[in-house]
Amino acid sequence: MRHQKSVPPFFSFGELFLNIRILLFGIGLLGISNLFAQGTITGRAVDAATGKPLPAVNIQVLGTVRGAATDGAGNFRITNLPPGAYALRASMIAYKPVAQDHVVVRPDRETEVLFELKETPIEFEPIVVLGGRTKQRLDLSPVSLSVVTSREIRARNATNLVDALESAPGIHFIGDQINIRGSTGYTFGAGNKVLLLLDGVPVYASDTGQFNWDMLPPLDIEQIEVLKGAGSTLWGASALGGVVNVITQDPTPQGRLMFSMSAGKYDKPHYREWEWTDHGRLHYTRKDVSYGRRIGNAGLRLSAGHHVSTGYTELGDFDKFNLTGKFDYYFPRSVKWTTYAAYSLIDRGFFIQWKSQNDPYEVDPSNLDNYATVNQLNLYTRLAVPFSSRFGLTVRASMVRSLMGNEFGEGSGFNPAIGQGGEIQADWIPSPLHTLTAGVQYQHDAGSTKFIGDRKGYFIGPYIQDEWKILHNLRVTAGFRYDRYQLVGGLKEDLWSPRLGVNWKPSERSSVRASVGSGFRAATIVERFLELSIMNFKILRNENLKAEQAWAYDIGGRFYFTENWNIDLSLFLNDYRELIEAHLDLIRGQIQFRNIPRARLKGVEATTRWASPVFFAGRNWKPALELTLTAMDHEDLKWNEPLPYRPKVIGNIKAQMESGPVHAEAVYRYAGRIDAVKVYPINDRVPMKFFDVRLSYSVWKLKVLCGVVNLLQYNYAPMESNLMPMRTFTFGLQGAL
Amino acid sequence: MQLKLHSTWLSAFRAFVLLSGLLILPVCDIDHGIAPLPGKLSVQVFFLNKEVPEQTQGVYLFVAPVFPPHAINELFLSPNSIPLDNDTVMAEIVLPYGHYEAVGLWWYSTLTESNLADVFTLKLGPDFLPYQFDITPEKPHHEIELFANLDRVNRESSLEGTITFNGPFPPNTLATAVAAFQHVPQRDVEYYVWLESIDFSVDSNPFHFRLPVRSRRRIRYIAVFWLGEKMGLHELRMLGFYENPDVPGTPGEFLPRTGETLTGVDIQADWAKAVR
Repeated sequence: MRHQKSVPPFFSFGELFLNIRILLFGIGLLGISNLFAQGTITGRAVDAATGKPLPAVNIQVLGTVRGAATDGAGNFRITNLPPGAYALRASMIAYKPVAQDHVVVRPDRETEVLFELKETPIEFEPIVVLGGRTKQRLDLSPVSLSVVTSREIRARNATNLVDALESAPGIHFIGDQINIRGSTGYTFGAGNKVLLLLDGVPVYASDTGQFNWDMLPPLDIEQIEVLKGAGSTLWGASALGGVVNVITQDPTPQGRLMFSMSAGKYDKPHYREWEWTDHGRLHYTRKDVSYGRRIGNAGLRLSAGHHVSTGYTELGDFDKFNLTGKFDYYFPRSVKWTTYAAYSLIDRGFFIQWKSQNDPYEVDPSNLDNYATVNQLNLYTRLAVPFSSRFGLTVRASMVRSLMGNEFGEGSGFNPAIGQGGEIQADWIPSPLHTLTAGVQYQHDAGSTKFIGDRKGYFIGPYIQDEWKILHNLRVTAGFRYDRYQLVGGLKEDLWSPRLGVNWKPSERSSVRASVGSGFRAATIVERFLELSIMNFKILRNENLKAEQAWAYDIGGRFYFTENWNIDLSLFLNDYRELIEAHLDLIRGQIQFRNIPRARLKGVEATTRWASPVFFAGRNWKPALELTLTAMDHEDLKWNEPLPYRPKVIGNIKAQMESGPVHAEAVYRYAGRIDAVKVYPINDRVPMKFFDVRLSYSVWKLKVLCGVVNLLQYNYAPMESNLMPMRTFTFGLQGAL
Repeated sequence: MQLKLHSTWLSAFRAFVLLSGLLILPVCDIDHGIAPLPGKLSVQVFFLNKEVPEQTQGVYLFVAPVFPPHAINELFLSPNSIPLDNDTVMAEIVLPYGHYEAVGLWWYSTLTESNLADVFTLKLGPDFLPYQFDITPEKPHHEIELFANLDRVNRESSLEGTITFNGPFPPNTLATAVAAFQHVPQRDVEYYVWLESIDFSVDSNPFHFRLPVRSRRRIRYIAVFWLGEKMGLHELRMLGFYENPDVPGTPGEFLPRTGETLTGVDIQADWAKAVR
């Protein structure tokens, strides 16, 4: 009788004890925990318009840690569910999510469900994990998030993560450094105030803190999520100004071969006097191929990529290889083991600065041998054990081995940096009103070069967060994390990161969110210890750098004017303490990383998306429009001056149209003129104004793409003496067989 | 009611589309952003002494929109060293339109860090102040002559002494320097016109210094300077100078012989003078 309740039983300590014992005795014995009669949900997901089955639809059992994905025939099966009533949600890229609220599971019975999904040119409410470390609807998150889908990445014909991210709301790149709402500025190749994750695993270089934006082929990307503002409560160190999580694709149920070939041809510079070579030869090519399939309980996906370019400047040439593999295996009771490895090898030049504004694509001849080999291996393995529908445990171990070099032309002088991490995370739904996430994370970073010596440091940080559903439409999230940072043989720091968030959905068409939380980033090994002379400057060490910390306040809402038109608004304020910035002593020719006692960054962000069928001449043209605008004010509170390398306005306008096999889009990217720079304040500075157009045609399982990036030949230098590419003609061929 | 609401949304949407159009419109006004610099300064350099020091990395032409500049990154510097293989060479530097307050040559060493005293040539006007000029749309090309003597960077003699401060360094110290001058500077700009040698490494109390200077050139003023955070090169604060032991209160002078090291150049520095 006890299993006839409509709500599944709460978690009990007896069950926990049993489950721990099961874990200890091995995964193969997990079946003995199945002591009570359980039910199963089976179902199918189809295209609402055509009735065709949809593979790889994400099925989520809301309020539990369980879920599934549809196979090649659009079928799914979720077993071992305690009897009761469940809410299910089906979501897939390019389709509007569909929910079924009352799916009743009975003991030893199968309940069938059919999901009919409607196609949409824009993703309105994708599933995200960044907000709470568990899968969650975007509109239920208490923090500001953005998502870049694989469909957008492929439509952009992106060649790396920078291409994929550069149009996302609130994001602006200064060189290789990502700024989320002005978080980072430009740190001269050392340290990032944003955390980059690969499937939730940190992937920064352990010595410089730099990211390798070429770490995986774009074909491997399922989705990129961007959390705006401090996120250390759940994600730990470096989540000071935001978090970027790159989610990789899983192996597909049926064998699937995907490939992508792209090429770009750089146009001549707009000004004849800037021509520096035979411009007919300047181009790039990128080739990627991946294959994935499942056989029984095992799935494997392998990808390889090769990206080669002449560059559009002297020293801009590179040769990049990628090799990635993802393996997963389902043990009984949906226990999932996943291992992912990504290796990249890059031979590249380092363009530090132009020769002069009248020779902006050339470098000083004395720098022409400024080349380095850069490589990185990212590896993680993760075991996810759903002990019950309400309790799951995830254990992971990871390693990042990176030889990043740096922007000072000393790449070959660096030894590989090794970062090793481990984490245990528990997800527990003790009652329908609470979702508890707790865990402990360990990260060990080591770097060794003649410029920094042998350095090691580690973090260990337990965390806990509870999402409390106070009312059916009101959720409060409270979390807390403590981190101990220990530099081996050096300083210790204790860092506390609390967070409080609220999400209120007054109606189905609106949601309001508010959060306050803190983030921190300990100085990287390079920021503390690098000693180097370069270009008449001496870089000085600063062992006493304190961890930089931020309190982030964010209030916002998402509102639907119609079913196909929404707007997302945010007001944000980041209050920094001990912000780490490069200090240039231009009297003595010295550079040193120092703490700025107080700094503040505040602003407003708005994103609106509209998509609707429009019939004309007997065709549905599926127009869609997306506008994003981020306006910020930032200030070093000690000197009452703007923070360097941060524009005050960034925005994008994207218009797209699709009819049958043809897809066209135009994107305008804008960033305001940067108020303050450090190296050459007398250089010309202008706003960024890029206009890109793209066209694609799908035939059979192939898509042919062409486009023009920087159509109007706009010359923009995000930091001094570094011009972005001139007009570039792009071509591509993508296929999925 | 529902219909009314939707027509409101429709109007809002039309306004939205119109606004988007207005935002896109500036793109149509073909703005190409950064452009080549339109002006040019051509300099004919006459080397008075053809011997190029062994440790020469290069000689760069510089132009200062403001002189003294706030910092050395506020100078336009030629992208390459000017040629050093002839007595008379031509050098050029591209510049934006504007007014310029100084032009000169900066010597870079392969052995030592860049030093303000390595500005070995500064073109002076008839008033012995830095030469000023304009680059305008009407006259985008300006030509001048410069007489340069690389012997000025050969500082084979030195002055040695101890600086004693009357207290600890202020926490907002950017740099403290000891410098030698050919004449006693009277105005800010003269600190750079008559500069013979400068060392910005003064960082302890007391501080023993060894300042390289040219031989057989009279040094008429040796002083200690302080700069606070965010202060510029035009804001040097003089904390004390080497006094003539025979006439206290007046600057002491030296005329070092070739390779000679003169000792006992002791200076009392008073932090009270840092606040002006």
